[in-house]
Amino acid sequence: MREHIEEQETGPEGMTRRQLMRHAGWFGGAVLLSVVGGEVISSLATDATAASDPNTLKFVQVSDSHIGFTGPANTDVTASFEHALDRVNSLGFRPDFVMHTGDLTHLSTPAQFDQVKQMLSTARTDRVFVVPGEHDSVGDGGKAYRQAFGANTAGDGWYSFDTHGVHFLALVNTLALEKFGHLGNDQLDFVRKDLAGVKSDTPVVVFSHIPLFAMYPQWGWSTDDSLQVINMLRRFSSVTCLNGHVHQLFTKTEGNITFHSATTTAYPLPKPGTAPQPTPQVLPARQLQDALGIRSVTYREGDQLLALKEERLT
Amino acid sequence: MSVLIRLAIVATLAETGFVHAKLYLGGYRVIPYIGPMFLLQAAVSFAVAALLLFAAPVVLRLLAAGAAAGALFGFVLSRTVGVFGFTERGFDPAPDALLSVLAEVLCLLLIGVLWAGELRRRRPAL
Repeated sequence: MREHIEEQETGPEGMTRRQLMRHAGWFGGAVLLSVVGGEVISSLATDATAASDPNTLKFVQVSDSHIGFTGPANTDVTASFEHALDRVNSLGFRPDFVMHTGDLTHLSTPAQFDQVKQMLSTARTDRVFVVPGEHDSVGDGGKAYRQAFGANTAGDGWYSFDTHGVHFLALVNTLALEKFGHLGNDQLDFVRKDLAGVKSDTPVVVFSHIPLFAMYPQWGWSTDDSLQVINMLRRFSSVTCLNGHVHQLFTKTEGNITFHSATTTAYPLPKPGTAPQPTPQVLPARQLQDALGIRSVTYREGDQLLALKEERLT
Repeated sequence: MSVLIRLAIVATLAETGFVHAKLYLGGYRVIPYIGPMFLLQAAVSFAVAALLLFAAPVVLRLLAAGAAAGALFGFVLSRTVGVFGFTERGFDPAPDALLSVLAEVLCLLLIGVLWAGELRRRRPAL
């Protein structure tokens, strides 16, 4: 009789109802335990509390605002940059500083620099830092840029500073631009001397416009002499390199160094190799907002890495 | 014998879960898309390893194989075309990447051995 019942309960694949229920039970148990395990592991991460801790370093990276750009890829880059700054001011915390990683303007005119400087002054933060992009030195080798933003910098606009136990380097790799980004011997000497006094257990953050790693050399998305800087950074326990230029999020780790490319507040560029040239991409309005954004960064002393959070402009 | 193999699968799965959880907590959690995927891998690996302590039904073996193969697939992608714009080089971070790959390969081999042994036992003697 029992055999008869089991036979009736057999499904098309030869599995009895009882076996099916048993499998479902194991699967359900695995899902339940996975959820519990995930909750436990994520609760061990302390991101959520970091932003409200007054001793935590908090800063924002904005990039590639291209003030002055006109084209179908974004018909109002000024409004997009205003939107980005509104987002900075509504993060729920006051950042210790805002860093703009270059291409502040599209054509480097004094009026465009003046406009972007005024707009940056609306960010609710103690300090605003910038590094130049290649669009900030069009036709004048960066003269107008340095007049607007060059105070307290060395050489052609590079500098370093320290806060919250982190050492920051702001590099200029766009002035001697041919195909690739270039730092030059003067700047390499500056970095060498600057890092000589920094302890190896100090977290180091490096800002530049063009990536210091070879993201896509075919489009010039790399810096030809960056290896010398990277070699100087190898002795540090934690190094984070933040760049703009490529108008899209990209992350790469190489030993102790993590590279993060930022998105833009102006218009997207194609993913590496998906188009003949890195020209502005025209997207429907709603999708454009998804492609634009800012990045908030927090760091609590003792952590190995900085915590990055991408914020879209939607 | 099959109990020993099952326990070895538990050990390899726990190891890959531990490595992913460690990297997640050590900073990978901040990397877009990668952080949540590391968390998922760690959580599923721990959960399936815990249940495999009691029995090894087909569904758990498939989940274990999926967790190990998925992690290996992600490793290969991250060293070649990238995963959502995330790339790494070689066996960095060391030694975690190597330990994780070894555990995942061993896990898949052990699941295969367990299955092959059962199929041999079920086959009627000639």
